[in-house]
Amino acid sequence: MDFFDAMAVSSSAMTAERTRMNLISGNLANAGTTRTQEGGPYKRKDAVFSAVPVERSFSDTMKRLNSTPPGGVEISRVIEDTSPPRLQYDPTHPDADAQGYVAMPNVNFVEEMADMITASRAYEANITAAQASKSMALKTLELGR
Amino acid sequence: MPVNDIFGTTIDLLGKTMDLRIKNQNRIAANLANAETPGYTPTTLSFKDELKEAVKDRAVRNATPPTTHTAHMPLRRTHNSIEEVQGRIVETPSRTAGKDGNGVELENEMGRMAENQIQYSATVQLLSKKFEGLKYAIKGGI
Repeated sequence: MDFFDAMAVSSSAMTAERTRMNLISGNLANAGTTRTQEGGPYKRKDAVFSAVPVERSFSDTMKRLNSTPPGGVEISRVIEDTSPPRLQYDPTHPDADAQGYVAMPNVNFVEEMADMITASRAYEANITAAQASKSMALKTLELGR
Repeated sequence: MPVNDIFGTTIDLLGKTMDLRIKNQNRIAANLANAETPGYTPTTLSFKDELKEAVKDRAVRNATPPTTHTAHMPLRRTHNSIEEVQGRIVETPSRTAGKDGNGVELENEMGRMAENQIQYSATVQLLSKKFEGLKYAIKGGI
């Protein structure tokens, strides 16, 4: 465990937050998408964060060499929100059902905006942590000068 | 006079403190990294008491030399209690954890990080001054 571990931990979190930001952008961009490859409207996507335990077995460490450092965070998977689509009455829409309702994506703008702020604040916090580790490491170099 | 003794306890102690502070920085970085991970409990490294004990222990051992005869050679210290201080990992969950069970409080962690950083700088400075003093003495005050 040294300074570079601390920086690697902070950067793993920055990567995770950036991925989350990408998903949020995707959700906002597709807030009106009614056609997808799987059929049906776009479904909101969210990232599942999981902590990398500090104590790990040797084989685990070997397998994950050069990946997320212990103590860091990684996105274990991306899930789709299974909540029902928002129904909007628009009989002229080509994707409208027999009753004239169109199934719109289950994306909630307010929720996405709040998530976006959380992600960017968390990113900033990790940058501060990385800077602190860096200045501590530089301070060490001043020893014996 | 053994040359090793000119360094004394201070340098060992300050070196160990730096080491432990780095480890604590790692812990804090991990807490900040997992500020959004469901079910994560933040941890911190507590070593103040253990280090204090180690210093006291060493002082006691140094004060009573284990020689019983003037012709005996003094026994060398075989183990150094300061070196063995590891610190204790303490869980510091927030009292108001959210629905996802994450116990990280960003403000707390930032505060702890600033404190750790300042303490580390202070330690480096003290060690620097200690070396400077030694150098001054070696050069004969020039």
